[in-house]
Amino acid sequence: MEALLDYAWVVVALPLLSAALIAMFGKQLPGGGSELGVASLGLAFLASAGIAWETFVNSPIEPVERALEWSPLGGGFVFELGILVDGLTAVMLLLVTTVSLMVHIYSREYMRGEPRFTYFFSMLSLFTFSMLVLVVANNLLLAVIGWELVGLCSFLLIGFYWEKKPNQDAANKAFLTTKFGDVGLIVGVIVLSAGMFELDTSTPFNILEINGAAAAGDLATGTIVLGMLLIFLGCVSKSGQMPLHVWLPDAMAGPTPVSALIHAATMVTAGVFLLARLYPVMAQSQAVMAVIAVVGVITLFFGGLLALVQDDLKKVLAYSTISQLGYMIAALGVGGYTASMFHLFTHGFFKALLFLGAGSLIHAVHSNNMSDMGGMARAMPHTFWTFIVGSLALAGFPLTAGFFSKDEILIAGDIWAGAGFATGALVYWIGLAAAFVTTFYMARVCFLVFAGENRSHHPPHESGKQMVGPLMLLAVLSIASGYLLSPFSPDQPNFETWMATPILDEDATFPFTEDGATEATGVQGDGVQAGGEVVAVEGAEGGPVSVLHGVPSWHPDLLAIVLGIFAVAIFLAYRFYGRGVPERDPTLRMGPVSTALVNKYGFDAFGYRFIVVPVRDTLSRWATYSSNHWLDGIVGGVGRATMSVAQSTYRVLDQRVIDGGVNGAAFSAAWWSERLKRIQSGDVQRYAGALVAGVIVLILAFIAVR
Amino acid sequence: MTGHDVVFVLVGLLTAAAAILTVTSKNLVHAALFLATTLAGIAGVFLVLAADFLALVQLVVYVGAVAVLFLFGLMLTRAPIGREALDNQNRGLAIGVSGGLFVVLSALIVDAVVGGSLGDTTVAEVTGPGIEDIGMAIFAEWVLPFEVLSMLLLAALIGAIVLARREPGDSGEEAMATRIDFGDAPPTEGTDSLSSGSLPELTSGERREGGP
Amino acid sequence: MSPLGPLLLATLLFCVGIYGVIARRNAVLVLMSVELMLNAVNINLVAFSNLLFPEDAAVSGQIFALFIIGVAAAEVGVGLAIVFNMFRNRASVNVDDVDLMRW
Repeated sequence: MEALLDYAWVVVALPLLSAALIAMFGKQLPGGGSELGVASLGLAFLASAGIAWETFVNSPIEPVERALEWSPLGGGFVFELGILVDGLTAVMLLLVTTVSLMVHIYSREYMRGEPRFTYFFSMLSLFTFSMLVLVVANNLLLAVIGWELVGLCSFLLIGFYWEKKPNQDAANKAFLTTKFGDVGLIVGVIVLSAGMFELDTSTPFNILEINGAAAAGDLATGTIVLGMLLIFLGCVSKSGQMPLHVWLPDAMAGPTPVSALIHAATMVTAGVFLLARLYPVMAQSQAVMAVIAVVGVITLFFGGLLALVQDDLKKVLAYSTISQLGYMIAALGVGGYTASMFHLFTHGFFKALLFLGAGSLIHAVHSNNMSDMGGMARAMPHTFWTFIVGSLALAGFPLTAGFFSKDEILIAGDIWAGAGFATGALVYWIGLAAAFVTTFYMARVCFLVFAGENRSHHPPHESGKQMVGPLMLLAVLSIASGYLLSPFSPDQPNFETWMATPILDEDATFPFTEDGATEATGVQGDGVQAGGEVVAVEGAEGGPVSVLHGVPSWHPDLLAIVLGIFAVAIFLAYRFYGRGVPERDPTLRMGPVSTALVNKYGFDAFGYRFIVVPVRDTLSRWATYSSNHWLDGIVGGVGRATMSVAQSTYRVLDQRVIDGGVNGAAFSAAWWSERLKRIQSGDVQRYAGALVAGVIVLILAFIAVR
Repeated sequence: MTGHDVVFVLVGLLTAAAAILTVTSKNLVHAALFLATTLAGIAGVFLVLAADFLALVQLVVYVGAVAVLFLFGLMLTRAPIGREALDNQNRGLAIGVSGGLFVVLSALIVDAVVGGSLGDTTVAEVTGPGIEDIGMAIFAEWVLPFEVLSMLLLAALIGAIVLARREPGDSGEEAMATRIDFGDAPPTEGTDSLSSGSLPELTSGERREGGP
Repeated sequence: MSPLGPLLLATLLFCVGIYGVIARRNAVLVLMSVELMLNAVNINLVAFSNLLFPEDAAVSGQIFALFIIGVAAAEVGVGLAIVFNMFRNRASVNVDDVDLMRW
């Protein structure tokens, strides 16, 4: 099993292989190439499961790094093509391959009959490969390569139905928005590596080295703040944080399995993953963490509110994804490294489940809109109960995975508040409020879709085995994955030790928390009952805050609050939507609030009004005028001048100089060769004479030089 | 002037004169005989220089074998023993070049020997290694080059035979080797028997010129 | 004994050989001239070895001369064979008749 970690690259190579094979031979195969994708993902999943088991049972493990080194430029710079396997990598490998395998199987039925079936599977495999490259990369350059590949695959799959203009637009929007952040990412990576260059390393992009240098305090504060904020810009765009979230709802134009795989479970978590990868660097700066926490909090709350007014089932889920990503980002900002990754892990499963369930519904009624559904519980029983499980997990119902992971985030906020940081309290209270919102909109979805009368134009039918199977498996995982870090978990191994590394071990603390900032704010660390007690007390005493918080203890009062929130939200949702009549939707009757939400806070309108309109109407009109009146004159004058210059150039330069030169060269060559060829007389004795004459000249030259 | 010098001057003058006559003689056979004289003179020079073994080898190989070989060569190529012009139009070039080279080289030598840049070069008694030393050197120190030289002689032997051979058993025929040289398909037997009546050399020459 | 005489004699023979190589038409005569040049080199070698450096290069000079004699014998053999061949093909042994490789 040990050797398995060395061969983690096989997990990456398998999807690439299948992508190429599907592209080449897929059309000839009976399954259109999908069987190749499922087989390779199955193998990759088995290998990932082995790796995950190995790293989990023996956790915390030393990171395993294997790299091919290439030094094309010299000068002490080595480009690495390598893998880095630790608990973080193993978690992501397991998540990506599991969800990808489920989506592959699911798509075999969902995409049946599509004209570009083979292309779709090739792209799915290629996407999986790209994501895995990003996950196992041992240096930031390779990670950026994987990051961009992921963006490319996302673009191609969003625009999968490219015959329709809105889908093209959605793909372009996603690509351009994320590309905006990618610029920040690349510059940030360069800033960090420039800092590393000063430390005389030959591999300035190596993640372990950067983390080690940052933890040892070798990197300058300016480098860390600038580099991490720029990298965070990339994460904002990729992980759909405000204000660059605008592409994610539009990305739902892609096929539903793609939404499940890319825009819910894996790709959008890339930003969170990258921040977690560089957590030791990020943990050096209070300012960076504060910025990240604030952005996360804003996103998690307002993103959740947007989900209230959507009628498109997939868009509800998209906004809920934005909100949940906000939780993860906010958790990173308040010291909840483990909590963030834990939520990423569980969220990957239940959000994939919800999207695939939504796909199953859409498949049945041929519409994305909830107003076209209703009463599906009887027609699609398996889809119904798996969807309910996913909704409960998302809403954080006790004993589901979402409950444990989301509460970890709240605990982290609580501890952070206890250490005297206002962002901790912000995350705690707004997180709780958003949990209410989440429960409410998920209850709304469930009532609208499953309760009441059937409003669809097609008689709904349950989906086939290949779609229901993945749903059931993901439903099981949506519950089971939460017990990796719960009050029931042993001290070792659990999810937290899994995430631990030699740098982020039990002794690791946030350096800027050491001088007892407890009294700075009024929020008490143990005021809200949540956290692991020991650490909370530590924070209250003004000691440094640990990165790892320990196994959470059981808090009946928190449980009570959560259940209370849950009950109220369900009750309200039942009051409004219990009979499944969307005409009376109260979320649309809240006056200006509803208007703001329907207009998505005006982000799109803002972009249209202040970027598109000024550029299109004012700027372009002025440009037209100036071009017609001023530029044309200039251009015309320049044109005429150019013409006359060209004429004279032609007469003098071209005809005389250049043609003369060329012809002269030819003529002189002919003239000279006519004379020089006589040397080549064929008379050997003349040659000999010339040879000896040359010898004489050489001897004379020798004498003269001597 | 020692006795050695006197003898050397005499032998050297003889050799030089014979050499000049070799390249200026109007008669081919005379030229070959003058060459033999030159080579014998060189053997004398070797004797004076106390290289006894080399002098003997010179006599055996050059005067005995090579000179005779040249005579045979002249006879077999039907050398025009008459007043045919033996020199080509390059004579002026030849005189200029060889004269110039001689002037330059001898000036260098005289400058080096008489001018004293070589130090005192006059030897009272000329000595050289005996035959025993030469034998030991050849078969101990120089044995590998010696063997290589023997291989070279063998190759030259075979090469000369191949180049000069006529059709076996048919003295009037075109040599196989020339056909191989030009890469032609070998003529059929009938063609060969047709052409066998005329002079073989002329026949083959004409054929070659009419060929591709 | 002074090395001047042998060296001058060798130079003379060499230059006479060059003259013969350049000026003679008959291929056999050209080969003879080549022999003259080779012998000039032999004289040079023996003179240097026995008169100028009797201790250092006592045997080497003569051995080189011997090798040159051997190589010259081979060269004469092959050279004459080529001349015969040429005579058979062109009915002439004049060097200036063989100028196929000209412009």
